[in-house]
Amino acid sequence: MSIATNTINETHFTPPVPPVRNSTITRTCKAEWTKLRTLPSTWRTAVMAVTISIGLGAVLCISQANQWATMTAQQQRTFDPTACSLGGFFLVGAVLLGALAVRTVTAEYSTGMIRSTFTAMPARRLVLAAKAAVTATFVFPVALLAVVVSFEVGQRVFAGKHLQVTFGHPGVLQAMVFAALAVSLVAIIGVGLGGLIRHTAAATTTLVLVIVGGVTIGQFLPAGLRQYLPGTALEAAVTVHRSAGLLRPGTAITVLGAYAVVALVTASQRVAYRDA
Amino acid sequence: MIEAKHLTKRYGKTVAVDGVSFTVRPGQVTGFLGPNGAGKSTTMRMILGLDTPTSGDVSVDGKSYSQLTDPLRSVGALLDASAVVGGRSAANHLKWLADTNGIDRRRVTEVLDLVGLSDVAGKRVGTFSLGMNQRLGIAAALIGDPETVIFDEPINGLDPEGILWIRNLMKSLASEGRTVFLSSHLMSEMAQTADHLLVIGRGKIIADASTDEFINRHTAPSVRVRAVQHTDLAETLIQRGALIECGSDGAMVVTGLDSAAIGGVASAHGITLVELAPLGTSLEEAYFDLTKDETDYHAGQLTGSTKGN
Repeated sequence: MSIATNTINETHFTPPVPPVRNSTITRTCKAEWTKLRTLPSTWRTAVMAVTISIGLGAVLCISQANQWATMTAQQQRTFDPTACSLGGFFLVGAVLLGALAVRTVTAEYSTGMIRSTFTAMPARRLVLAAKAAVTATFVFPVALLAVVVSFEVGQRVFAGKHLQVTFGHPGVLQAMVFAALAVSLVAIIGVGLGGLIRHTAAATTTLVLVIVGGVTIGQFLPAGLRQYLPGTALEAAVTVHRSAGLLRPGTAITVLGAYAVVALVTASQRVAYRDA
Repeated sequence: MIEAKHLTKRYGKTVAVDGVSFTVRPGQVTGFLGPNGAGKSTTMRMILGLDTPTSGDVSVDGKSYSQLTDPLRSVGALLDASAVVGGRSAANHLKWLADTNGIDRRRVTEVLDLVGLSDVAGKRVGTFSLGMNQRLGIAAALIGDPETVIFDEPINGLDPEGILWIRNLMKSLASEGRTVFLSSHLMSEMAQTADHLLVIGRGKIIADASTDEFINRHTAPSVRVRAVQHTDLAETLIQRGALIECGSDGAMVVTGLDSAAIGGVASAHGITLVELAPLGTSLEEAYFDLTKDETDYHAGQLTGSTKGN
């Protein structure tokens, strides 16, 4: 570190720099994007999410293909090679990307930097909305990459048993896009949980329970109710074959969207009225 | 210019800030002085719109903080220098701040230069020492070229060189016509930096005066005197209204008259002085006296409220 001299130079702009002309919404989003992209952990998480999704997806597909001969006729008929190839993505990739979204809020609360954020941008609801928008926008292409490659790798595995489907297969392209979209919505839920809970570990655990735990708890609920749980809706969003007890993919995305809106609005109210 | 009117913050039954009214004026350094837990940080958070006052209000340049458009261009603040996410570099930390208020990114380089962090602009903030963090916090406060700056305990953890640097920076910011408001719990530091003092204790303003006035009002200058005609001098000084204490070594400690007056008296009466030494006014003691009833925690005593900072 260079030590500044004890004589202080003029602290004003020289020459004065005019303000950049753009709206508060644009500025808030730009600032939140700068925050997200300048943290090395953002990119590390993205790389991990993509590679683990692909790797784990491949392992699951290999295991599934090896069991093919021992599966019942019923199991073979309802086998969904698309959903199966995305198994790793939903088990790990979605959770990692959701946790990344949680941290965009909780890292600021745990360090106290949230005070700098709110003194610079006093419109707190807008800050939270910008975090959600920026994070979801970042998550979407990362998730799509993980999904597309996982699918491709999975289908190569299934090709050995002639079980593979292609991108042109009905419903496959929609399942890819919905998978990425669903995880973007999970990211928004993550931002909401971050704002409500403020502690990284507690908020991340809650998010994991919402995604994965919901499926376990859901077994004790009647099917009519169970299909509206976020974890079940997430699963339904990528099914190509219709299954009983699961919502249609479009409905499932709408349900997840509703969860995201509720989480974000509730968090915004809490964050706006609580002392920072 | 910062104006607080009957500003109050209550947490449950604890009153952190109790109906304080004050004005912080431009062109001078105003020191906000008080023991830990007196309500300094809470007051500053209310000025910045972070905490909502229970009652009363506070404005910056006549507006409440939330009404300011591009607040960083009006007010710059350093609350807690360590409150940064460690994974980002110093320059990137300043970049997102610049983005929030539409400030040209050229200003990032300028403020990094100003605080002497240019060489470590690309280094992760998590690796910074406390002193470097303080400098980064000051750069962040100055990024919008604000007319008002607020610093909470800016010299905490700094080495003497750093303290001198901050002191000069505060003075130069004030001389540019800005409103400079800084808090500290150290009287001696404030006496050297601040032109005006606001003393707070247990949430109440207990002194609001220029530093000189404060010193004159709360400290009695004393002078150590020895003379050949010891008794004669003592009698004469007592007649002039001075108070005299006798030191163990035979010297007198005179309060109520300064050394010039004592010298004059001695010379007028043909008294030969052997020693005439003004004693430093104990500002720290005056501050301690003023705030001792207002301090939440006294050593060896477990009473008092429980509200921290």
